[in-house]
Amino acid sequence: MSTELINITINGKPFEVPKNSRLIDVCRDKGFDIPSFCYYSDLALQASCRMCLVRIEKMPKLQTSCTITCTDGMVVTTQSEEIEKAQRGMTEFLLANHPLDCPVCDRGGECELQEMTFEWGGLEERFTEQKNYAAERYLSPMVANDPQRCILCKRCTRVCDEWMGEDAIEAGGRGAHTVIGTYLGWLDCSQCGNCIEVCPTGTLLDATYRHQTRPWELAQTISTCNFCSDGCQMSLGSRGGVLMRVVARDRYVNGINGEFLCVKGRFAHPFVNHEDRIKTPLIRYKKGGKLIPATWDDAIKHVAQNLDVVADKYGRDAVGIVGSPRLTNEALYTLQKFATELVGTENYGTTDAYSLKPFFDNLTGQLATHKDIRYAGTILLIGGEPEELQPLTGRQIRQAVRNGGAKLIIVNAVPIRLREQASLFVHIAPGSEDAVALALSGEGDDELAGKKAGISTQQLDAIRQALNSAQGDVVVAFGGELSDDAQALMAQLPARFAADGRRILLHPLPLFNNSVGAYDMGMDNRRPVDMLNSIGETVHALYVAGSFLPEHLHGHEETLEKLEFLVVQELFESETTKYADVVLPVASYAEVDGTFTNNDGFVQRVRQSISPLNQAKPDWVITAQLAQELGVDFGFNLSSSAVFREIGEKVKAYNGMRYPLLKDEQHPIQAKHALAGSSDTSGQLSRLRESVEQLSEPGDKINKTPEVGHELFKIGNLTDKVPQFHLLAGGNPRPDTTRISPLYQITVDANMERETMVAGD
Amino acid sequence: MSTTLTQIKPLSQPVDLGVEAATFSAQVEAEIDRHLAKYPVMRSAILPLMFIVQRERGYLDPPGVLYLANRLSLRVTDIWEVATFYSMINTSPVGKYHIQVCKTLSCKIRGAGKITEHCSNKLGIKPGETTADGRFTLSEVECLGSCGTAPMFQINFDYHEDLTPEKVDQILGSLA
Amino acid sequence: MRIEAIGCEPLQLRRVHLENSRSLDVYRKNGGYEALKKVLDGMSPDDVISEVKKSALRGRGGAGFPTGMKWSFVPKDSPKAKYVVCNADESEPGTFKDRYLMERDPHMLIEGMLIAAYALSSKLTYIYTRGEYRYLIDIMDVAIEEARAAGLVGNNILGSNFSCEVHTHTGAGAYICGEETALLSSLEGMRGHPRMKPPFPAVSGLYASPTVVNNVETLTAVPDIIRMGGEAYQKLGTEKSGGTKLWSVSGHVNLPGVYELPMGYDDMEKFIMEDCQGIPNGKKLKAVIPGGSSVYIMRADQIFGKDVRMDYEGLVAAGSSVGSGGFIVMDETVDIFESTKNLTEFYKHESCGWCTPCREGTDWLVKVFKRIANGDGRPEDAQLMLDLCDNIEGKSFCPLGDAAAWPIQSAIKRFPEDFRKHLSNGNN
Ligand SMILES: Cc1cc2nc3c(=O)[nH]c(=O)nc-3n(C[C@H](O)[C@H](O)[C@H](O)COP(=O)(O)O)c2cc1C
Ligand code: SF4
Ligand code: FES
Repeated sequence: MSTELINITINGKPFEVPKNSRLIDVCRDKGFDIPSFCYYSDLALQASCRMCLVRIEKMPKLQTSCTITCTDGMVVTTQSEEIEKAQRGMTEFLLANHPLDCPVCDRGGECELQEMTFEWGGLEERFTEQKNYAAERYLSPMVANDPQRCILCKRCTRVCDEWMGEDAIEAGGRGAHTVIGTYLGWLDCSQCGNCIEVCPTGTLLDATYRHQTRPWELAQTISTCNFCSDGCQMSLGSRGGVLMRVVARDRYVNGINGEFLCVKGRFAHPFVNHEDRIKTPLIRYKKGGKLIPATWDDAIKHVAQNLDVVADKYGRDAVGIVGSPRLTNEALYTLQKFATELVGTENYGTTDAYSLKPFFDNLTGQLATHKDIRYAGTILLIGGEPEELQPLTGRQIRQAVRNGGAKLIIVNAVPIRLREQASLFVHIAPGSEDAVALALSGEGDDELAGKKAGISTQQLDAIRQALNSAQGDVVVAFGGELSDDAQALMAQLPARFAADGRRILLHPLPLFNNSVGAYDMGMDNRRPVDMLNSIGETVHALYVAGSFLPEHLHGHEETLEKLEFLVVQELFESETTKYADVVLPVASYAEVDGTFTNNDGFVQRVRQSISPLNQAKPDWVITAQLAQELGVDFGFNLSSSAVFREIGEKVKAYNGMRYPLLKDEQHPIQAKHALAGSSDTSGQLSRLRESVEQLSEPGDKINKTPEVGHELFKIGNLTDKVPQFHLLAGGNPRPDTTRISPLYQITVDANMERETMVAGD
Repeated sequence: MSTTLTQIKPLSQPVDLGVEAATFSAQVEAEIDRHLAKYPVMRSAILPLMFIVQRERGYLDPPGVLYLANRLSLRVTDIWEVATFYSMINTSPVGKYHIQVCKTLSCKIRGAGKITEHCSNKLGIKPGETTADGRFTLSEVECLGSCGTAPMFQINFDYHEDLTPEKVDQILGSLA
Repeated sequence: MRIEAIGCEPLQLRRVHLENSRSLDVYRKNGGYEALKKVLDGMSPDDVISEVKKSALRGRGGAGFPTGMKWSFVPKDSPKAKYVVCNADESEPGTFKDRYLMERDPHMLIEGMLIAAYALSSKLTYIYTRGEYRYLIDIMDVAIEEARAAGLVGNNILGSNFSCEVHTHTGAGAYICGEETALLSSLEGMRGHPRMKPPFPAVSGLYASPTVVNNVETLTAVPDIIRMGGEAYQKLGTEKSGGTKLWSVSGHVNLPGVYELPMGYDDMEKFIMEDCQGIPNGKKLKAVIPGGSSVYIMRADQIFGKDVRMDYEGLVAAGSSVGSGGFIVMDETVDIFESTKNLTEFYKHESCGWCTPCREGTDWLVKVFKRIANGDGRPEDAQLMLDLCDNIEGKSFCPLGDAAAWPIQSAIKRFPEDFRKHLSNGNN
C-alpha cells in the first residue's frame, strides 16, 4: 500500500489516510464503529453479509465499506437513519432462520451475532414463520457443526483455503439451502480448528469442549504454546484447576499468530489434567526395584546424596545434566547454572533433535519474524516441512505467496504440500540438502552439488539468481536436515547475498517450543547422543529434566541401566523414567510462569493458568531446591521473575529484559542475538565438500506428497494422552466412523498401531 | 475454492473415499478429452463432465465424484460444492425418465398445475417422487424458456410443449 | 406460436422460416458471412467498434448497456488473452427469443461472435447455454463444425490472418448464471456466484482476463450492423435505442410467440390487441409484465389509451422497463397475489445464497406468501413485505436481489385489492 496521504471526510470530520487503504479499516481506526461479519483482515473479500454499509457521496445506493478503497476527497457517512435501518434489516435477516436458544449454544457469550443483536436492541420479532431446520453433526473428532446457526460469512472456508491450503470445508447447496460442509460430511484435513476459531456464531464448535462450561465461567490466561518453535500466543481457559480449552480468539489474545493455531496447540492440551500425570516424587531404592512414592524432602535428599557420591567417586564430569527444549528459559537457565556453577561438569546439554549452536555462532543476519515472512518478497525454503512441523510459518509462507505475491523457492527431497505455492520447486535426492547448501555457499561446487542432489546446475543457478536479483526482504528458512557445517554456512548467507534494498533474513526451523531458548540459556553444550555414548565411560550419573527423544534413546536403553544414578523430572512416565532411580513430578506449561523463545527470537511469556497439580513443581524450583540441598542458594527464592531478572543480567542477548517488558503479546521483544559478521568459512566449506562427496549417487526421488497430518497426528508422549489424537493417528478416520459423536468415538482401541514419539511432538 | 482463479493449484494428495473411482469406456474417455481440450483451465470442464458421469451412472455417486476429482485434480469437496449448486446435477438417483413440469408464471397461468396433477395421478407419485419401478421421477421446475408454448414439460432433455392431458397420455404412453 | 416481424422488415428473423434455415448453405445463400468477409477485407477492429457505437445497439440481455461502449472498455494494450462470451443462459421467466435464434439461425450467432472476437482481438470464444437447452447446444456444435469445415472457424479464417475458436459450454440449471460475472465463475468451473465489480469483466473477466459478455440477440444483431452500416441500423429504431428488438410474448394472448419490432414501436395496446390478436375467450386484459419477470408489473390502464412506446425510454416513462423483452400478458382471471407469489418462489429458488438480504429475504418472503395463501394473512403483512423488499433492494450483492423486490413492490402498489383480499380475512 502506498504511503501517499489523501484527504477523506468521515461523518463530517476530515482525515488524512494512506491512499487505497480500505474504508472499513480506516473508519474503525478512526473510532467509527462499523458492523461486519464476513470481512476478515487479510482474507479474500467476500462482501456478502452486507452489514458494513455506508453512504458515500456521489455514489448510488449504500456501499459496502469492506470493498471500498479510499480515494481523495471521498465523503463518507457511517451513521444515519438509512444506514441503521439497513444494518438492522441485515441482522434481522440473519436472525430469521437462526435459532434463538443462545443459552444452549457453546458460543453463547462469545457470539458476534448475539452481540450485534444486543447492540441493536429492539429487533422486534417480526419473523413468525417456521425456521429452516438442519440437524447437528460432527465433521470430525475435533469439529462439531450446527448448520442452523450459520450466517454464511465463509470465514471458515477462506481460512481453510488461504491459511491452511487445505480447502477441506466449502459451501454446498444454493440459496437458503446453502450449507457449510464437506463431501460425505467428513472433514479430511489437519484438524487445525481454525474454522472453529474464526466462526462468529455457534456453527463450528470445538467438539472436545462441547457443553462443558460457559465461556464466561472460564478464567482466560494469555500464554505461549508448548509444541513447536513458532510460539503461537494462546488463551488458556481454565476453571476449578482444570484446563478446559485453548483458543486464540482475538477477544482474548492478539499474538503473532492472530487467531491461528494448529491441531496440537488447540486440541492437545488435555494432557495437562490427564490422570497419568506423575503425582508424587518416586524413588527406586534398589536397581530393578519398583518406584515408590516419597516425600519431596526425602526425594531431594536422596538425589543430592547420590549425585555427591558419584561426583566424589569419579569426579565432577561424571555427573551429566540434560534439559529438554520444552522447558522454560527459567528452567533451562537454572539447570545450566546448576551444571556449570554448582556441579562444574563439562557434560551438560539438551535433548533437542539437532543443535542450533553452529547456526547462532556464525549468525550474520537478523532472524526473520513471522511478520517478515508474510511481507517478504522472496522466500527460500531448504528442507523442512513447516506446514506439519511449524504450522504458523507454513501459513505465513502461504499467505506471503497468495496475498503478497511473494516468490517462493522450495528445495526439498519430498514434494511437500507447500510446493503447491512455489514458483520454483527444486526436487532433490533424499539426504542431499547439504549439497545445495554447499552450492549456495561455495564457489564452483555446482557440478558436484548438482550431481549428488540429482538436479541440473541451471536449477542451482536459478536459486542463486533469485537471491541476487531479489528486491525487498528475502527470507531463508531451513530445516534440521542440514548438517552442522551447512547450518553454519546458512548463517553466513546474509553476508553473501545482502545488498542495498535487499535484506536476507534467516528463519531456522527447530522442532521445539524452546529450542532457541535452550541455546540462549547456554544449555546447548553436548549432544544427547554423545552424552548417551559416554555413559559408563565418563558419565556415571544423569540428571534429566524431561526425557530423551526415542530416536536418540533407541539402541541406548541398556546404557541408561549402566548409570549408577539417574534422576528424571517428568510429567509422565517415559522410556527414560523406566531406568530412573528417582522421578520428580513437574508442572506443565499451564502451571508455571516463565518464558519461551520462538524461532523469531521472540521471548514470550508463559503464564500460570492453573496451580501445579498434585505435588508437581516447576522444573526450575526443583533444580534450585536441589542446589539448596547441595549447599548453594541460587537466590531465586521461589519467584520466576527473579530467575528471569538474572537471565536479563547474565545472558547477553536478553540484556535488560524483565517480565513487565514482555507484558504485551501484541508487541513481542526479540532477543538480540550477537552477529558474528562475515567470517572465514573455508573450514566448514571444505568439510562440507568432503561430506557431500561422500554422498552416495542419487537414487530414486520421493514422489509422493505426504498425507495432511502425517507429522501433526503422530502420537507423542503428550498427544498420547489425548484420545482424539489416537483417532487421527492412522490418518483421518473414514466417514463412517464420524456419523456418531466423538464422545463415543474416543473409546480408544488399546492395541491400535501407535507410532512412538517423534521429534516435533 | 476461493474466488481468484490465479490461486487454483492442482491437488497434491490422491483422495481416498474408501471406494474405487469409476471407470469409463475409451469412447467416453475420448468424449471427456474433447471437452477438456476446449478450456485453458481444466476445472472449466466440470459441468460438461458431470453431465457425462451422470449420463453413464445415473447420478453423481461416490465413484463418479472420485473419478471427477482425480480427472480434474480437485478435492472431492470441490466437486460437491459445485454439484450441489446446480439444479440439473443429481447427487442422488433419479428415474429413467425425469419429467420436469415448468411451474413458472407463464406456464402456470396457462394451466401447468393441471399438467402436474395429471402426471401425478397417472404415475401415482407426487412432485419430487420417483415411481417404485424407478422409471419416472416427477418434478416441478422453474421457467424452461417455453413460455410461448405453455404449458410444457421436459422429459430428460426433450421439450414437450402446448401440452394437454391427452397429449401427456400419448407421450407417457410412447415411453418404453 | 408465431414468429413474426411487425412494423419493420424482418431482420433478425429474416431466415427463420426458410427450409433448412439452420444449414450453412441456406445461411450463406441469404447473405450469411458477408459481414464477416467485409470485416476481414479491410475493416480494423476500431472500425467495427465504431460502427457498433453508431448503431446505438443496446444489450438485449436485460441491462440495456450500450454495446459499442462496452466493447471499447476492453484494454487494447493488455498482454492477456481476451475472451468473447455469449450469454445464452436465457432463464428470465417469460423470455425465449434466444432459443429460437439459435434453433433456427445458429450461423448468425457464430458470425456475430466472430466479428466481436475480431473487434476485440479475441481468439477464444464461448457460448454459455443454459443446461436445459441441450438440443440447442447440439445444434450449435453441428453449425460450428460446418463453419470450421468451410474455413469460417479456426485458423486463418477465410484466408485472413485472423484465427478464432468458438466453443459451446453448458450450464446446469441456475438462473443466476445469466448474470455476467456469475456466468464467468460458472464457466471457470466454480459455483455460480456473482463477483465483485469493479473490476468489470471488460478488464478482468474470464480467467482474470479482459472479457466481453453479450447476449445472443445482441451478438446476432452485429452482422446486420456491419452489413447495413451502423447508422442505417440505428435508424430502424430510435436515437437512443437503435435497431429492432425481439419480444417473447406469453400468457393470455391469442398469438403468443417471438415478435421482432422496431425499437420505439407504438403502441403497446395495439401490439397486444391487434398484433397478438388480443386476449383469449373474450376476457379482459388485467396486467402485463413487459420485460421479463424482473421488471415492474403494469396495470391495463397504464397501457390502454396511453400510447406506450416500446423502447427503453418509452417503457420507463410508462412505469416499467424493456428488460429482456419477456412480455407476459395476464387476463382478469389472474390473481396478482398468486402471480407475485409464483415469481417470488422463482427468485427464492434461484438466489445463489451469497449475500444475506437476497438469501434470507426471498426465503422469508416466500414463507409469508405461503402463510397468506394458507389463509393466515394479516393486514400488516403487506407493509411487512414492502419493508422486507426495501431491506433487499439496493443492498444485495448483485441485481437479483432487486429483481426479486421489484415485482412485489409494484404488485402491492398497483394491485392492492388483490392483496387486501387475502390479507383482511385470509382467502378461506
Ligand atoms: C439475475 C440476472 C440474470 C440475468 N440473466 C441473463 C440471461 O439469462 N441472459 C442474458 O443475456 N443476460 C442476463 N443478464 C444480464 C447479464 O448480466 C448481462 O448484462 C448481459 O449478458 C450483457 O449482455 P448484453 O449487454 O448483450 O445484454 C442477467 C442479469 C442478472 C442480474
Ligand atoms: S443478490 Fe446476493 S444472493 Fe442473490 S443472487 Fe445476487 S449475490 Fe446471490
Ligand atoms: S463486511 Fe462488508 S459485506 Fe460483509
